[in-house]
Amino acid sequence: MKERPGAIALVLAFALLFCSAVAVVVPALALAQEGTPEIRGVSPNPESTRTTWGGDTVLVNFRPNGATIDPDACELYINGERQEATAAVRAISQATATVIFTWPESLPGGEYDFRAVLATTEGVTVEREWSFNSEGQGSGRSLISFQVMQDWFWFIARGAIVTVELTVISIVFASILALFGALGRLSRKMSYRQAWAKYQSWGYLARMTLGRIPYWIATFYTSLFRGTPLLLQIIVIYTVTPQFIQYFGLPDKYNPPAFWSGVAALSLNYGAYLTEVFRAGIQAVPKGQSEAAWALGMNSWQTEKRIVLPQAFKIVIPAVGNDFIALIKDTSLVSVITVEELLRRSQLAGAATYNPLSTLLVAAAFYWALTIFFSFWQAKLERRMERDRARA
Amino acid sequence: MPVHSDMPMPDAPTPPSSSEVLVKIEALHKKFGNNHVLRGVDMEIRRGEVVVLIGPSGSGKSTLLRCINFLEEPTSGYITVGGVTVKCGSHGKTYRDAVHDVRMKCGMVFQEFNLFPHKSVTENIIEAPLIVKRQKKEAALEKARILLERVGLSDRADYFPSQISGGQKQRVAIARAMAMDPELMLFDEPTSALDPELIGEVLNVMKGLAQDGMTMIVVTHEMSFARDVADRVIFIDEGLFLEDEQPDTLFYHPQHERTRQFLRHILPGRDQERLEDETAGRELPE
Repeated sequence: MKERPGAIALVLAFALLFCSAVAVVVPALALAQEGTPEIRGVSPNPESTRTTWGGDTVLVNFRPNGATIDPDACELYINGERQEATAAVRAISQATATVIFTWPESLPGGEYDFRAVLATTEGVTVEREWSFNSEGQGSGRSLISFQVMQDWFWFIARGAIVTVELTVISIVFASILALFGALGRLSRKMSYRQAWAKYQSWGYLARMTLGRIPYWIATFYTSLFRGTPLLLQIIVIYTVTPQFIQYFGLPDKYNPPAFWSGVAALSLNYGAYLTEVFRAGIQAVPKGQSEAAWALGMNSWQTEKRIVLPQAFKIVIPAVGNDFIALIKDTSLVSVITVEELLRRSQLAGAATYNPLSTLLVAAAFYWALTIFFSFWQAKLERRMERDRARA
Repeated sequence: MPVHSDMPMPDAPTPPSSSEVLVKIEALHKKFGNNHVLRGVDMEIRRGEVVVLIGPSGSGKSTLLRCINFLEEPTSGYITVGGVTVKCGSHGKTYRDAVHDVRMKCGMVFQEFNLFPHKSVTENIIEAPLIVKRQKKEAALEKARILLERVGLSDRADYFPSQISGGQKQRVAIARAMAMDPELMLFDEPTSALDPELIGEVLNVMKGLAQDGMTMIVVTHEMSFARDVADRVIFIDEGLFLEDEQPDTLFYHPQHERTRQFLRHILPGRDQERLEDETAGRELPE
């Protein structure tokens, strides 16, 4: 009747770790030459399946690599001739921006050769040539564009990886915080009145006060983080940490990236909720279990570690799984501090394409898929535990 | 020798005995808030003795048992087990170390078994020897094997507690306590949570222990066990020892009306008749 110990769960965990590692490492490897922008995409895009073009706009998407584009120095050639166009730079994020060339009169359908030249304020230029066969303006802008969804799918998908990273890293830190929080919350054994009645010793009360510090810290912590909005905590941690670093005279490079500010806020907030979950889980282990361990000569720590906590973990797994699902969605709040997770990336894509509905729908689909995926594993885990418990 | 006094016993010389005193309890008090559960208990138990505690519900018999290994902290008094004396109601490192030493000399068996559900039968038994006594795993496993054989559960070594019957659980619990080589075994109503047909197997194991010379304090309602195995039966009422006699004397010649009332309810039919016969016409004090 022995179960194979969670081989599938292990594989899943490794897959998650792998995805996270790829998401962290790949952008880091793509270290480009500082100061030279890199053109990443154009519109009208010959690689897309789209065949219509408005005829009055050309977009050039690029990675700045630290450079600043001078819009007035940028040039657009159509069929070898310089096009009289107004150029504007629109920053989507630190990592990506778009130069928008516009002119008043629409060009008709037909075959065009484009050449775009981007120039930085430092005088560096990069250019891209491409051709596009336009069938005309098409039937106007649709509310939902599958083309936009298709074009920006991978851009948004990378946001989904950041979301999973945020969730997994935060739930791990939150659980660690919650474990100590719960032990702190449970460290209060008796009231001062009871202690005085029992021992009538000032020395004992003094030592008891020292021993009560973990309880006070844990109580303050859960009260504070459950009593204030998560969004506020995220913003405060993001804005206040650099000020602290400045105040203590440390260099700016110690400023945590927005990602880690977000992880800190999510971990602290969910840690506070999970503290109560863990406390309830530990209390749900029958008192007789500790008594049996004490009677065998085990000390308090051995009893907690070997007897109580393993059983408490089993009890709290469903509740932690629940919070995990909730956390997937709450990570969207860190989009306000510029972390490019799922929601923010879909907003950026929406802004770049003037079609936010399409990109937001992609984000919604990702969130939904993630929650369904993790709910499935949670249900599987719970069924397994149910079976373990029912083994009679 | 009925012992029922609120006062600590004077330093009366202990009666000469063939074997040493293993457990000595002096003027033990236990209060839960305003509820005075133990009101000055004194007792001595010699090595190898089997003592059965009986008494009505709430009389303090379980509390007394749990006080001996400090699962309940007595309010005041002295407890000595195997030469280690604890002054109850104190605190600090000396106190904690003494409590630990006492616990190491006591094995305890609970009404609700309290096996560790996340560990197999063998793991339950070797847990404390490995963790507390830091024994080698091979030695602990060998000891577990011997103990399981002794309680007749060699074929259940790799089962989990949820997979075995109540009687088997309790036998494992006894083996688990014995694995720490206790000098004293405490049984807190070990058969009260069992189906009637499973009681016998547990009592047989306990009888075996008694025959091997283990010192035992047993809280039980199994009067047949008390009559057959106990060296002394103590009747506790309202936190005091009312009678402390050999089983036959206590069961059939109780000195107090309270004892007789209690025995009337709890003795098996045949013994009840004998009790009525032997105490007929006698006026017993309350």
